[in-house]
Amino acid sequence: MDMSLFIPLMVIVPLTCAIFLNLIHGFDKLTKLVSVIVAIALPIMPLCAAYGFHYFGGYQPIATNNLGAIIPNLTAQLAAFHPAITYAFGQGQQVLIFLLGIVGMSAVFTSIVETKKVSGVYLYLLFMLTAAMSALILTDDIFNLYVFFEIAALVQVGIVLVSRIKNNYETALKYMILGGIAGPFLLLGIAFLLGITGNVNITDIVTVLHSNLNNMLNPVIYLSCAMIIFGWLYASGLPPFNAIKSDVYSKGLPNGAMLLQSFSVVSCIAIGMVILRIFGILELSRTVILAISVIAMILGICMAMVQTDFKRVIAYLAVGELGYIGVGIGLGTIYSLTAGLFQAANELIITSFLFIGFGTILYKTKTSDIKKLGGLLPKMPFAGLLVILAGFAMSGVPPFNAFQSKFMLCQAALTQGIPELAVLMIILSIVTFLAFLKIFYMVFLRPMPDDLEIVENKVPKTTIGVMVLFLIICLAVGIAPDLIVGRLGALATHVLATTPLIPFL
Amino acid sequence: MQIELVQLGALMTSALLMIIGLVAVVYLDNILKKIIALAFLGDGVNLLLISLGYKAGGIPYILLPDMTITSFLQNSAYPLPFALVLTSIVIGASTLAVMLGLAIVLYKRHGTLNSSEILNDPRVEEE
Repeated sequence: MDMSLFIPLMVIVPLTCAIFLNLIHGFDKLTKLVSVIVAIALPIMPLCAAYGFHYFGGYQPIATNNLGAIIPNLTAQLAAFHPAITYAFGQGQQVLIFLLGIVGMSAVFTSIVETKKVSGVYLYLLFMLTAAMSALILTDDIFNLYVFFEIAALVQVGIVLVSRIKNNYETALKYMILGGIAGPFLLLGIAFLLGITGNVNITDIVTVLHSNLNNMLNPVIYLSCAMIIFGWLYASGLPPFNAIKSDVYSKGLPNGAMLLQSFSVVSCIAIGMVILRIFGILELSRTVILAISVIAMILGICMAMVQTDFKRVIAYLAVGELGYIGVGIGLGTIYSLTAGLFQAANELIITSFLFIGFGTILYKTKTSDIKKLGGLLPKMPFAGLLVILAGFAMSGVPPFNAFQSKFMLCQAALTQGIPELAVLMIILSIVTFLAFLKIFYMVFLRPMPDDLEIVENKVPKTTIGVMVLFLIICLAVGIAPDLIVGRLGALATHVLATTPLIPFL
Repeated sequence: MQIELVQLGALMTSALLMIIGLVAVVYLDNILKKIIALAFLGDGVNLLLISLGYKAGGIPYILLPDMTITSFLQNSAYPLPFALVLTSIVIGASTLAVMLGLAIVLYKRHGTLNSSEILNDPRVEEE
């Protein structure tokens, strides 16, 4: 069997399953059965797939297909032209899609066990978002990336709408209006690139632009770069979109919020790598990415300190952590990009861990207001222990995984001659730790308020199991980072191989 | 590369649509007007894409039996922008539908379409 068939299946299977679940909404047992089977398949597919490319429709690059022989005056650039949508699957993509599959599977399982009646429509949204994220990681076609960016934006609105949390409609409309600006801006950037290079395949665009570096002096390239960076900021929730993105997280159910933040992480690295591949040669692009990432780190963590809703605290912390990923991209070396990708992989797991952990508190108390909570440790000791371990992981406390990635990022900043950045990242990690200790004290340790009502139902074992799974991954990657760092390094090397970067500063 | 008058007109119109859309979405308070402004913005980008693929006297990108490869490659219009615009229109229509649906729900809840009134409506906080 040709195992490269699994490459498109990583997108097609969740996508088809999502549509099918929407159709069978109301048939509870069938919905559960299909969801569980496909959810289990999500992390398995990337492990089974063979590394390589998938050309949709079977149309390989012109040089390797039959067309090459009949086209007159075939230039080297035209010979490399990709006529089909291309998916590239390597070691780095395997790690990211595997972890994404774990998060998607966990979101589906917790959604099934925590709701009385299974909603096919909600599961549709979860699978659709997972499919869109897998496509963002795999695609080598910038327009295909835009399509899945738009699909994901609509699905995110859907996840917010079904949550029935106060003000969710208002938040959804605000997010859509901002998306209504960012989407066309991203498309405009793509249109400019199409106008200059005649291609939408990212490899082709890089080949054409970098074959003659005078192309990079074209002012339209700068405009295109600005437009695509704007789309990247919106998708990732980096400033100035950090507030609306945090709002969106807090309006989703915990299992939905897991995937919402996963989308931010995935789009941050997927679009970030595209920017680096195409525009990385422009020092200005990397400086802008770096500056915005530093602002995101500071703003996210400072805003988290003043929130009184624990979902918003995690949401802002997640935005702050995205800044670390941006630093890895912005520094623009293979080592820094590897560190950024490593941080992204860790972030996928840790923030999901925190959302699910605090979701158990929401499940027991029906409130996310920190002022109304307290004294929960005796009521839910195991969940409390897991939540504090998740907080340690996010803060970068050894031996958890984020310690390794943040350490690598600090090393990357030092190597690039920016020790101030390394110091800032360390300080912000400490502040994250303090922010987390504050909410842990408020929720678990201080005396319980008299008016706090606690639901007698026990937290579902599946939810606890998912948290334990996340903890194991955090510890395993923290103790043995070589499990994934080498693979992510291969992806970083591939991304920067076509970009002759000028050293930073 | 020589720009045809039709192409130039299309480019100017697309720029105008984008500017009007962007200004309107920022400055107009009514949600419906904001949604229409976003449609302007999207249409402006679509028009830009279409104008990129314009070729004076171009033929459709279909290789007929009586054509030689050389004449086909010289005369056919580049089809990629049109395929992209088709997809973009579908995405735009879906987004527009969801936004209009949201506008209906918000109008029923708040009795107004003014975004400033909706966001500052005290009834929302009391729910």
